[in-house]
Amino acid sequence: MKRVLGTLVWTAVAVAGAGALGAIALHRGEPLNATWFVVASVCCYFVAYRFYSAFIAARVLVLDDTRATPAERHEDGRDFVPTNKWVLFGHHFAAIAGPGPLIGPTLAAQFGYLPGTLWLIAGAALAGCVQDFVILFCSIRRDGRTLGGMAREEVSARGGLIAQVAVLAIMVILLAVVALVIVNALKASPWGTFTLAMTIPIALLVGVYLRFLRPGRVLEASLLGVALVMFAVVAGQWVAASPTWARAFTFSGVSLAFVIIAYGFAAAVLPVWLLLAPRDYLSAFIKTGAILSLAAGILLVRPQVLMPPLTRFIDGSGPVFAGKIFPFCFITIACGAISGFHSLISSGTTPKMILREGQSRLIGYGAMLLESFVGVMAMVAACAMPPGVYFAINSPAGVVGGTPEAAAATISSWGYSLDAQTMARLAHAVGEQTLLNRAGGAPSLAVGMAQIFSNTIGGERLLSIWYHFAIMFEALFILTVLDAGTRVGRFMVQELGGRIWKPLGRRAWTPGIVMASALIVGAWGYFLYQGVVDPLGGINSLWPLFGIANQLLAAVAMVVATTILLKMKRFRWMWTTLLPMALLVAVTMTASYQKIFDANPNLGFLSKARQLQGLVAAGQIPASKLAETQRLIFNQRLDAVVTAVLAVMILMLLVEALMQWYAILSGQREAELHEAPYVATRWATGFSPGVAHGDD
Amino acid sequence: MNRVGSAIKIMFSWSQTIFSRVREWCGDAAYERYLRSNARRQSGNRALSAKEFYAEQIDRRYSQPNRCC
Repeated sequence: MKRVLGTLVWTAVAVAGAGALGAIALHRGEPLNATWFVVASVCCYFVAYRFYSAFIAARVLVLDDTRATPAERHEDGRDFVPTNKWVLFGHHFAAIAGPGPLIGPTLAAQFGYLPGTLWLIAGAALAGCVQDFVILFCSIRRDGRTLGGMAREEVSARGGLIAQVAVLAIMVILLAVVALVIVNALKASPWGTFTLAMTIPIALLVGVYLRFLRPGRVLEASLLGVALVMFAVVAGQWVAASPTWARAFTFSGVSLAFVIIAYGFAAAVLPVWLLLAPRDYLSAFIKTGAILSLAAGILLVRPQVLMPPLTRFIDGSGPVFAGKIFPFCFITIACGAISGFHSLISSGTTPKMILREGQSRLIGYGAMLLESFVGVMAMVAACAMPPGVYFAINSPAGVVGGTPEAAAATISSWGYSLDAQTMARLAHAVGEQTLLNRAGGAPSLAVGMAQIFSNTIGGERLLSIWYHFAIMFEALFILTVLDAGTRVGRFMVQELGGRIWKPLGRRAWTPGIVMASALIVGAWGYFLYQGVVDPLGGINSLWPLFGIANQLLAAVAMVVATTILLKMKRFRWMWTTLLPMALLVAVTMTASYQKIFDANPNLGFLSKARQLQGLVAAGQIPASKLAETQRLIFNQRLDAVVTAVLAVMILMLLVEALMQWYAILSGQREAELHEAPYVATRWATGFSPGVAHGDD
Repeated sequence: MNRVGSAIKIMFSWSQTIFSRVREWCGDAAYERYLRSNARRQSGNRALSAKEFYAEQIDRRYSQPNRCC
């Protein structure tokens, strides 16, 4: 009876999911209600979790709950800490959910809601969740070894080096692109700039509280900090209303870029307890609260999705970024579908804290499904605004013009009606001077979120507060990524540099810290500056570059996972990681080729450089702009070289892995697994860390 | 009356569990957990003070990628 009931329930869930997906895919004409998106994604996630993740757990990985995990064998109360599965789920989710699943889908909405939504759901269920789950499992079986360590041991020494270089490349490009998102959101916005600036003294205060007044009392310190941040959001409107204060907090893009570069350097050099850790605590609380509120708001308001399923920009002529759906939708939406960066978290702290192998299904696969849901929510928020408004906010001035009239005329000519007054009214309603040309995704997402929140609480009256709350929320955790990434990047530079010059490798040596920090900040700062002065908005060049770098790391993770499955003799099930890997390679190689060589100057770096060179040669560039144009030409060529290096690394890794696989399959080499030896668990079934340690 | 009493007891116990999970999630309970750790107790080494533990813990945590894009 139970079995029949179970079959009926799961059939109903599958039919509801398929029906909702069908409605999303085939609906034309009247706007679609957001409820369809929620039903489609949630039903697909349930089915994927119940069946596909169970299949991977039972058949592919053969999880063994009798085996002691690293948290049991090496328990030290510091790194190896047995942790309740729901607490660890929260930890893992907070670590993997950054700005990516919010910004990527918002940018990909230029194709319409359909391609991005389908990729978010299918990509997560069949690729992203599999990557996180399998890498977590592999790391658990290897005492919590990192991805680089596993690549070195299981693939080859060169594989490990490629992983290390890929991580550094991602760090630099990621930090530049997220900093650019902040710059585009805050330029000429005294309210937003003031609010974000206030988070620095608030974080310092929380840092001092946690270090000296009440060491380690994170909950009370964070609640105090969150209350102060909320007050700063409200106080921002008084700053914006005062001519003197508004002037003090109004910055151009270039000035903001230099402020953020200086801030990044300070965050990397200052003690971690003073700024980085307290900001991370504040960010974790606000991020969790805002994401839950967005999901609840969408369910309550059930907004109409005004963006069509497919826009005219599927032909590759998009104003937000150039390129067709394949490969650029798959590059633009990385986090939310599959993100290589997650494999660093899955082989970082999580495997050292897990109680049982069986829980890696919930934590690895389940947390990624939740992140995908965040991506779908972001897609809904972006598509709930009129398409004309979406394109006005996200298109650079170089494409639609810098005035409301010019932007309205250009966007209306594309078939998305917009008048100049609409943008002026919207900017006024959210407390901004202008919302035009804010490429980067953050402001349009903030407008979407503010409309959903204000329809739930406060109405039009609170629209400006909600908008700035959303901007603060996005900017706060982008700065957290910036702080943490710069610091980790500094360690990587010190580690690599220490091989050439030993003193640089000493982590506590102040000149080494300053030099390595300057190097890493200089690297991402250069790309940031390049993006800020780019007439096409910078996102057009940098976001695809970031997507390629991130998917390169995902390809590294999938190569490692496939190699380990091969060595475990799971030949029959290797397709579970091999197919996502093949897709990633196809996507990254095609995107790299098009970004370097495409004849369209809006897409190809080299053709853009040639076009600018031609203008210089023809004397069509005024003397005052000559130096700037030469710099743009250099930047385009530099981007082409960086993309080529990333593509070559993918090919090298693939060749390395294929040789290894051939040698194993043909019997020329013994498949040597580097798993930790089996040790039976001493923990009884149903063990809970709290009970075992006597605190209940 | 008994039913109301036991319902309140259950709710109180749930609230305690949720609160303790939130404390664990955000790191509030990390030092208590460290003091309880069997491995630490068996090592015989001096336990770190709350200040020392906090400084050491966050320094280690932010030395590796722990926040994704």
